[in-house]
Amino acid sequence: MKANFMSDRQLLEIMAYADGELDASRRREVEKRIAEDPSAAALHQELIAHSDLLRAHEPLGTVPETREFYWSQIQRRIAAEEQAAARAKAAKAPAFGWLRWLAPAIGVAAVALVVTYQQRPGPTVMAVGEASSMTFTSEADGVTISWIN
Amino acid sequence: MLRAGDPGDASAGAFQAGLNNREGTSSMPASLKNDYLSAPDDELVGWAQKGDTEAFEQLVFRHRDKIYARAMMMMRNEQEALDLSQEAWVKSWQRLHQFQGDSSFATWMTRIVINLCLDQIRRQKKMRAESFEQIEEDLGGVERQMAVEHVNPTEGLEKDELRKRIDEAMAKLTEAHRTVLVMHEFQGLEYKEIAKRVDISIGTVMSRLFYARRRMASLLQGLRRERSE
Repeated sequence: MKANFMSDRQLLEIMAYADGELDASRRREVEKRIAEDPSAAALHQELIAHSDLLRAHEPLGTVPETREFYWSQIQRRIAAEEQAAARAKAAKAPAFGWLRWLAPAIGVAAVALVVTYQQRPGPTVMAVGEASSMTFTSEADGVTISWIN
Repeated sequence: MLRAGDPGDASAGAFQAGLNNREGTSSMPASLKNDYLSAPDDELVGWAQKGDTEAFEQLVFRHRDKIYARAMMMMRNEQEALDLSQEAWVKSWQRLHQFQGDSSFATWMTRIVINLCLDQIRRQKKMRAESFEQIEEDLGGVERQMAVEHVNPTEGLEKDELRKRIDEAMAKLTEAHRTVLVMHEFQGLEYKEIAKRVDISIGTVMSRLFYARRRMASLLQGLRRERSE
């Protein structure tokens, strides 16, 4: 029995029907075709039979290594990947990461500087004795200037 | 039994920590601790998720052949299959916390190994580009018109012999056809899921699957003829 008179689309729809992949309307159409066309019905049967056959006889395999050796290789791979991940994490850290520990100290120093600045006395002018001399002192600039007449 | 801390072992970090945890401070009852052999998968998974490497080891022993066989079916190369199956176990350990028990552990594992195989195939650029010509080729010429097989071509064969013959027939499929066949028949994936994972259209999945099945039917018919001669 030949199925070659069916179009590609019809062939694929029969397969999709066998796999339960068609929506309701397409399903009804395919069911009608299968009921009316013996070659469609035969193809449908074959697809299901071969699918069942494969699923029931999935090829088996045996790991070609001893249980212990196979497991030891997995262990080593896991350990190697963990080490690589740890190295990558370390490499991502900034080169001067230790500087972050200075941040609180820098903050405190900045506050102290501001307070000191605000409490700083302004320039003072004072007379020296009766010799009509004057002294100008600026602590901020660290300068003292004296005029003596 | 080898352990992560055996001489020559480079282990460190969480895997080693898990090993230490298992040997020392695990909260698992003592009666269960020695019962890895009889514990069901979900129980072993639960222990492994807490860092119990021996429970994980037991899972490897239980399912290693199936995972290897699935990789072998996809790659048709023993060394690649071995390598990818081991890689699947490594990924499984790393992602164990993601396993929620929505499917069986074995199904979850086979998904991981299939994905690794697909990645490997992509890397090797073995997958051919999709095109209309390709779709036509995927659907097949001779196989499309092949007579439908009414008689079971494998009737009378021992189960093991049948598995072997099916494996041989699958080896004769192209990688692209074998991939969709494995994903559909053995992984139980729907067309759209296969299309997503292999990165092809649903139409291409269907045409490749159709061809693969017809080709398998043809190859198994050949087997029947061989036996009757």
